[in-house]
Amino acid sequence: MDGSVTLDDVMMRFDDFTAIEPTRLTIESGEFFSFLGPSGCGKTTLLNIISGFLTPSEGQVRIGGEPMASVPVNRRPTAMIFQNLALFPLMSVYRNIEFGLEVRNVGRAERRRRADELLDLVALGGSGDKPISALSGGQKQRVAIARALAVEPRVLLLDEPLSALDLKLRQHMRTELKAIQRKTGITFIYITHDQGEALTMSDRVAVMSAGRIQQVADPETLYQRPATAFVAAFVGENNRLPGRVVASDGETTTLDVPGLGRLAGRTGQAQLAVGQSAALFVRPEHLRLDTTGDDTRLEGDVTSVSFEGAWRMLEVCLADGSTRLRVLLGQGAGPAANPVAGHRVELGYAPRDAVVLTDDAPADVDAETGEPLASRTGEGQHAASA
Amino acid sequence: MLHQLKGRFGAPVAMAIVGLVGIWLVVMVVLPQWQMIAYSFHPNLLPAEIGGPKDHWSLTNYATLFDNRIHLAIFFKTLWSSVLVTGLTLLVSYPIAYYLAKVATPGQAALCLLLLVIPFWINEILRTFSWFILLAFRGPLNELLLALGLIDRPIRFLSGDGGVLVGMVYAYILFMVFPLYNAIESLDGNQIRAARDLGAGSVRTHWRVVIPHAKPGIATGCIMTFMLAAGSYAVPALLGSPGSRWFTQIIYNWFFEGGDWNQGAAYAFLLLVLCIGFMSLVMRLFKVGLADIAR
Amino acid sequence: MSAERFRDWGLRFYLGIFFVYLFLPLVIMGAATFNDSRFPTVTPWRGTTLKWFEALWADGGMWDALGNSLLVALGVLCLAVPIGVASALFLTTVESRAKPFVYGLILSPLLTPGVIIGISTLIFWRQFDVAGGTLLTVLGQTTFIAAYVMLMVMARLQRFDRTLERAALDLGASPWQAFRRVLLPFLKPAILSAAVIAFLQSFENYNTSLFVVGYDTTLTVYIASKVRTGLTPAVNALGLILILITIGLAVIYELKRRRESRLAAR
Repeated sequence: MDGSVTLDDVMMRFDDFTAIEPTRLTIESGEFFSFLGPSGCGKTTLLNIISGFLTPSEGQVRIGGEPMASVPVNRRPTAMIFQNLALFPLMSVYRNIEFGLEVRNVGRAERRRRADELLDLVALGGSGDKPISALSGGQKQRVAIARALAVEPRVLLLDEPLSALDLKLRQHMRTELKAIQRKTGITFIYITHDQGEALTMSDRVAVMSAGRIQQVADPETLYQRPATAFVAAFVGENNRLPGRVVASDGETTTLDVPGLGRLAGRTGQAQLAVGQSAALFVRPEHLRLDTTGDDTRLEGDVTSVSFEGAWRMLEVCLADGSTRLRVLLGQGAGPAANPVAGHRVELGYAPRDAVVLTDDAPADVDAETGEPLASRTGEGQHAASA
Repeated sequence: MLHQLKGRFGAPVAMAIVGLVGIWLVVMVVLPQWQMIAYSFHPNLLPAEIGGPKDHWSLTNYATLFDNRIHLAIFFKTLWSSVLVTGLTLLVSYPIAYYLAKVATPGQAALCLLLLVIPFWINEILRTFSWFILLAFRGPLNELLLALGLIDRPIRFLSGDGGVLVGMVYAYILFMVFPLYNAIESLDGNQIRAARDLGAGSVRTHWRVVIPHAKPGIATGCIMTFMLAAGSYAVPALLGSPGSRWFTQIIYNWFFEGGDWNQGAAYAFLLLVLCIGFMSLVMRLFKVGLADIAR
Repeated sequence: MSAERFRDWGLRFYLGIFFVYLFLPLVIMGAATFNDSRFPTVTPWRGTTLKWFEALWADGGMWDALGNSLLVALGVLCLAVPIGVASALFLTTVESRAKPFVYGLILSPLLTPGVIIGISTLIFWRQFDVAGGTLLTVLGQTTFIAAYVMLMVMARLQRFDRTLERAALDLGASPWQAFRRVLLPFLKPAILSAAVIAFLQSFENYNTSLFVVGYDTTLTVYIASKVRTGLTPAVNALGLILILITIGLAVIYELKRRRESRLAAR
């Protein structure tokens, strides 16, 4: 069975607000595919279009090559894991899992056999008769997965299913979800604002912003070779230095950054014209104190040092007085790398480790939107899962 | 409208919903009211005259009330007494509601609520009847007062409006206590404490903090109590005397003794207008909407 | 003693008086049943008797009225519960500019005096040659009892998580199956409570019934007419029995409701 999902120029408008810009994309059968983006970027709308809860304003969805336009929600070969799980509270675990089979008139014995099989798959064997209220957060998660798998979907849609769990359980469930996906071979489409989840589990990730897919790539490419400023800022931590292009070729671009002078980096996009505004991105782990010959150099004052165990994070205020850079120092860093707040330091990076991209990212979307969102989910959810 | 229902429940259930709601509202709510109003603006005719030259819209049925000094007096007495009942009920209920919502422990409140609910479940007629026995000329209340030496001879409680007022407060008090209780309960206890800490006295705290918060509850309780009092038939019929008739009794007489339904309909419509008028007034005074009342 | 405690004791004293006010009349009415007096009273006490229960038992008119009351209540149950549930579903599903208007219309019977509902029902059905009787009593009572049912069902419906319906559809259920297997079971406790309340409201109704009963007198109308003409302690006997049944039902209902809210809170 082919579980590929194709979006043919899908576009979604609500009144005069465009939730999804025209999007063309194919998700391969058996792939673990994630949509990553801040809340409000349109990823949930896209999921609802694939599952059939919403009809796109333009374009169509195909699953396994078949157009889905005239196929209602309850006839699509998809199953959804809801953000709040949406387990039926008045039914037992068995009746939850068997629900999809029951409405398809599958016989009692067969239903029970399937349910037991699935309970084993999600490591909940023997819990079938429990009421939902007797389960822990992690167990509820597993029941939700079993219930969705019971209808033998070709595509499983997951709408931030881990956001209600506490940090430890969330990390454990990542491994588990990936294992279940490998075992069943079903296409998983995963929605999240947590880049940790997206990067660790997915074969490919689509980064979304403001209704538009910014980049589709495997996790490593996303991190190493971001295609847009938004991706550079949103995925992983990055230092952003905005300026104007003074020279650019296929390999290297030089920017004039106000107050800091000329800085060079790898050319991230083909079309960088001299004079246009752009930004240079350099990750904290690529900045170093023991500079070498080819490095681009920057000077600044250390404003804070935080010790994080395996590494230290420095904050350095540059000579222009306003730009702050974060610098990550590993344990192996030499004696020079032992500054305290107030020290003046010289930083350097290899131009091939930095990237210059058209600066289309709104200023508040860099680390600020990405970071707080990712760290916020760990808090305040314990009560719900207890 | 139908589209949203169909999307959620499927066509058959959506049709059933629209059908049931539609039949109820049209055949049981709107058309009967309309028919009553239409009746009130037509003269009472013999069957043979219906559709004839005399069958036209007129205000004669309303003129009757304004020409009849006794009926007019009863109308205003009903209005005034219902306001009085509403005010009395509010006064009696407020401390109870406040105690239940803010002073009592959860256990005490639960017990008291149960005790309050029980008489509420008992028939209005029986509750009124019990006062009929209590207030009788040779009844226990007179005997008690005589035995205590507070009076020399029994009082005729049931000959004026006093018995009716007491009986109505008794009959409708729960329609006041529960809205009040619900409203006061949602008030954050810290606000009361804060007011106290700032030096506000007890009366001031209630006037400035509790009562403004309880407004929707007060409005609901007053509207319900007024409507029930003005529209009551049982209490005045059982506890009143021929000299203290209620407007509803006049309406009843037009229907079943006077045999003039059109005239009765006019009086009934005036009663309805009275209730709607009171409701609008209260809603405006307290600045609450219909949605607050239905909670 | 602080002012606070003084106030609390004042409140408690007031509460005590209030409950005496609430229950004493009922106790006296019940006690009068056992007084061997022609007229229902407890003063003077002329000796204890059970004969008024016998008199009640022998009262054919009472039995007829009871039968009518039960028939009417059953009829109201069958009409008001589906209508009330439908209205609640309607109001929680439909989003339109007409909604506040429909909402007001649905609530209006609750804010209309019962006598007026009776009168308008009586007048409306006259043109179809339907005179006062059991049928009109059922229709008249349903007019406002359906609104009570709506409020009770609506209160629970507002706590329903509509994602559950989406989940059911997503798992392949038809809208009907989602309604039947997910929403209805959720509403069941509220529907049952509403049915009990509807039955009692109907059984106890006086103001509306008064105008539409015709010759099919209901028990409440019968009691009222007895009080005014032909009053004997047999009426007290009937009252006492009804009060005891009501208290029993009220206690069972309350206990059940509390157990459910405890379960729901878990």
